[in-house]
Amino acid sequence: MDTAPATPRRQTGYDAAPTTTPQTTRVTTSHVIQSSPHYQTTRRHSLYGTEDRVIIDPGSRLWKVGFSGEGKPRDVFYAGGESGTSVWTLNRAPGLLEREEEDRLLEARLQTSLRFVFHNSLMTDPKSRKVILVEHPLLPLHIKETIARILFDNLQVPSISFASSHLLSLLAAGRITGLVLDCGHLESTALPIFSSRPLFPQLRTTPLAGMRLSSHLRALLLLFGTYIPPLTSLSAAANIPAATRSMRVPEEVLTDAVIEEIKTRCCFVGEPLDVSDAHIMSPSGDDSTELDLPPSDPAMSESEFSRVSADMESNFSSQHAASSGFSVVSHSQVPNPDRRPGETHLQALSRMYTRHSTATDLHMRVDPPASQQTGTGRGTLVIPGWIRERAAEVLFEGGDVDESSMAEVILDSLLKVPVDLRKALASTILVVGGTPMLPGFIPRLHAELVRAISTSPASASSRPPSRRERPRPAPYDRYAPLCPLLPYFTILNNPSPPPPISSVSSNAGKAPAFTPATMSWVGGSLAGALKTGGVEVAREKWDEADVQSDDDAMETAPETMRSPKNILPDWTRSPLPAGAPPAPRPTPVQIPISTETEVGA
Amino acid sequence: MTPSIEYYCPCLAASPHPPPPHLPSSTYSFHPLHNLFFCEECDAVRCNRCVMVEVSGYYCPNCLFEVPSASVRAEKNRCARNCFHCPNCRNTLTVVPSDPPDDGDARMSPIVSSTLGEPPFFLYCNHCRWDSAEVGITFEKPTGLAAQLQKFEDSAPESLEFERLKEHFEPFLRASSSSSSALHSAAAHHVHTNPITAAASSALARDIPGVGKYNPLSRSRAGRDKHAHKNDIPDYKSRVEVASAGINAGGGEADVDFMCRLETMSEVAALEQRWVSSWVASLHSSDLKPLRIPLQSKKSKRCPSCRHILIKPEQKAQSVRYKIKLVAANYLPAISVSLPHAQAAVEMMKRSTALNKSAAATTVDEHGASAGALLAGKTYSFHLAFTNPLYDPIQVRLKKAQMMQAPGADGDKTRRPPFQVNLPSSPFPVAAFAEAWEYEDDEEVMFGLEEDEGDLDGMGRQQRDGRSKTRTLGVVEKRANVTVVGGEVILTKEARGRVKFNMLVSYTYRSDDPDGAEENVTGTPSRSHASSKAPELKNFSFYTVVDLGLIVPREESRIDPDI
Repeated sequence: MDTAPATPRRQTGYDAAPTTTPQTTRVTTSHVIQSSPHYQTTRRHSLYGTEDRVIIDPGSRLWKVGFSGEGKPRDVFYAGGESGTSVWTLNRAPGLLEREEEDRLLEARLQTSLRFVFHNSLMTDPKSRKVILVEHPLLPLHIKETIARILFDNLQVPSISFASSHLLSLLAAGRITGLVLDCGHLESTALPIFSSRPLFPQLRTTPLAGMRLSSHLRALLLLFGTYIPPLTSLSAAANIPAATRSMRVPEEVLTDAVIEEIKTRCCFVGEPLDVSDAHIMSPSGDDSTELDLPPSDPAMSESEFSRVSADMESNFSSQHAASSGFSVVSHSQVPNPDRRPGETHLQALSRMYTRHSTATDLHMRVDPPASQQTGTGRGTLVIPGWIRERAAEVLFEGGDVDESSMAEVILDSLLKVPVDLRKALASTILVVGGTPMLPGFIPRLHAELVRAISTSPASASSRPPSRRERPRPAPYDRYAPLCPLLPYFTILNNPSPPPPISSVSSNAGKAPAFTPATMSWVGGSLAGALKTGGVEVAREKWDEADVQSDDDAMETAPETMRSPKNILPDWTRSPLPAGAPPAPRPTPVQIPISTETEVGA
Repeated sequence: MTPSIEYYCPCLAASPHPPPPHLPSSTYSFHPLHNLFFCEECDAVRCNRCVMVEVSGYYCPNCLFEVPSASVRAEKNRCARNCFHCPNCRNTLTVVPSDPPDDGDARMSPIVSSTLGEPPFFLYCNHCRWDSAEVGITFEKPTGLAAQLQKFEDSAPESLEFERLKEHFEPFLRASSSSSSALHSAAAHHVHTNPITAAASSALARDIPGVGKYNPLSRSRAGRDKHAHKNDIPDYKSRVEVASAGINAGGGEADVDFMCRLETMSEVAALEQRWVSSWVASLHSSDLKPLRIPLQSKKSKRCPSCRHILIKPEQKAQSVRYKIKLVAANYLPAISVSLPHAQAAVEMMKRSTALNKSAAATTVDEHGASAGALLAGKTYSFHLAFTNPLYDPIQVRLKKAQMMQAPGADGDKTRRPPFQVNLPSSPFPVAAFAEAWEYEDDEEVMFGLEEDEGDLDGMGRQQRDGRSKTRTLGVVEKRANVTVVGGEVILTKEARGRVKFNMLVSYTYRSDDPDGAEENVTGTPSRSHASSKAPELKNFSFYTVVDLGLIVPREESRIDPDI
């Protein structure tokens, strides 16, 4: 097993190395077809008379579609309908029957979306268009297969190419080597790529992404937002001041659409708060002793808060019902007897953020909840400025093993990369996806990266001299091996790069000014225009496999007809791919991926 | 809330039997009759999820110009004439001239300026008063606006950058594909023998100089390694770097500053207004550009299995006719469901409001809300009206699909089904369809034959209601080509959710009508139609899902009207 993948490598290394003849003879006949997709694709294209391929970048919520060779997608739409619900999530139903039902739902939704792509968005005949599917490396296999089945069976496309979204993003930045962080809706994934080879075993992922940001934003607004219901009658407008009418935000007001609008139109990412500054101005009361910044506060982390808040919400609503006249305009400073322990901390947090934030409060018109439809017109939601600025803190707050922050996921991935690649990768970080569209996200990420590496050496160097009598063992620092790389860390598409630290020629901000969200689509378009891109699966091949599996399934139950087909390329199926750079250790690294990769399922 | 019926298309499931209707996924398999097609060759129902769609023509929905397919590609599926959407409200923009120069002393004749107008022209939204002069778009001529804007589109930064990227990668790809034949034969061999592993290795599916020579395990070849890097692809120099573009946009400091000082949300463009642009753009909604109106297409649809055309529209954009139209409504009987008790309640409400409008309004409201609802633990009758679209009389037989056990079998132990449905078991006839004028002629004859003649006017409704209780199952009413049959649903006390059940409808139509359904055939004017057809018997059956509405639980039914 070891020798087989190693031989071709050696041969390519030493040109004059003794080769085994049978291999070479077979190669000469075969490689014309296989190793030159360029030739292959051009021939095919002339056959069908079409040169444009269809590029589909399917996300769990947003799909971007268009033709290759164009600089921007033709259409972007919510795949789950206008409400913007996810087509798939990170979870799968546990029971067999539920899972079957889930699959049927998924297939129906995907079919709706895919038919929409060809018939409404692009208005093209699917039978004559090859498709490049921009594929997230952790896209669950069953979803990929469902997409392929619909494309081949229902729409009858001639072929599908599967291309890694991270690699395509890198292409759109004009690179073939780099570390790509894709921060989407369900999860954020960092993947190092060297010479256009994705190093899949070094992939790291975290569920801190757009969805978590949304739930955090909702939780913050429920706690600290203010809702002013519409006037009950127009004549009463003069006598009742807005302040007395204001109340806690009812849960029904914060629909997914409202949250989405707040997220995309109001939120941004502020600069990291300075440690010393925060210490001086740290709020009085119980947590003045805490030296830590709130983002890394152990007492009750923000992400924890948003997770807990789901069950807190019911508490609040009942509490609110009891005291409906209760005003929260002054940021709910009223002490509450039945407050949870975490809440005081959150109050402190909000006070501190309020003090530091200069962002303006925003008023947003929202539809009143159905139970209070008595008023005239729409209600008003007051969004505190600090929430707009600090809601995204949840993405940068690390410390959790399973849910590393944006910076940690990059650094973890770098730690797994072979040492001599680290410098090259650290100096070409690319951030793509929908969540980095938040203004200030990328500069903040850079600051967080620098902080994560440089904090520990700073404390180690400053403290030991002062208290020499007590030699403490240096605190364990995971990222200590990365410290020497500090001056090299650069984000390619940083819109406002920091001044270069040293004389190192910096790549920061040198990427073309494509938006992070469309980068992978643009890369797909580029790959299509260059007549390359991914492993191509032709329909004939699919149909062959289909017939075979049908034959197999004849005797067994009809459900197994939809068993996974092995003709779709997937890196998780072969732990040690022959074409990829060899893993640093002889045993393939088992990646602790989140629930998403349904390898065995 | 009104009861509905939908027809089943088996394209999503492997089996011909429909999924149990309580599953959320089942809604995707049922369609309203007017959305379905019928393939004569396959003798099967087809839906919009399974038909093959072909574009038979493009047109602009605003100016109805038929766009030749050759130029559709270049114009990016959008109207290339004078049609624009407002970026804020998606209203259609109009071209307006500028105000005439206000010289004060020498006012020229206003008629001249009003016919053509003064350049520059700009686009104006009649709904939200947006105008294109705000974003610096003006035109010298009031025609061919999109063509005047074309040069901006051609020189859009993203397409220029895209071309540059292409040029950057092209020589590199060419070099690698030529060298791969000689150098990386062995690797290529591997790609061939094991396409799956090759797939895993890279998305580019080709060999890049540098990677083959690179081996992190052997430190001794570090020198070689460096050499490989030199052969590597040169650094790409962006045309516009994000750092320089980001001074004003792209999520940099300026944007953060702008967001920080934001006064109203409408200053920021919505996600939907920004998401198509792949180039960093300003967040300000005041910078949005007018949008060319997307083209629409006329689609012809084919049967997925036999490829026969099911529907084919006329070519002209103005026309709404079809050349070929095989819709299911012409083949399957149309069914409509009604709940007689709900209708009676609505009627009573109307009557009483007419009598004493102000006083009884609230009580009637209350009454109407509860009377129309389905209360748990009661028995209701419902009516199914079958309308025959065929020129031959048909015999319809109803059968409840054996799916009601499914919710119990699905996991909730062996719970009793929340309701039970009784349908008329014997086949009943539906008379043939005839042209409307024929009915007018034979009106007396037709209704003379009908037994429930008096029921058609509102007067006899109570009387009919009283009678229908005795015979809820079976034919309730017959007129023209419509037959109404009654069924009943028995709700258990703890019933919840919707009353939804699958129903198998099979109908036989025989051209010569020797024995069955004599009484309504005798007077039917379509007799001649029927006898002209080939004397053969055909049978067709299809599944439907009947949704009678939501069950109101017992306790809440009394509280509900108060709220």
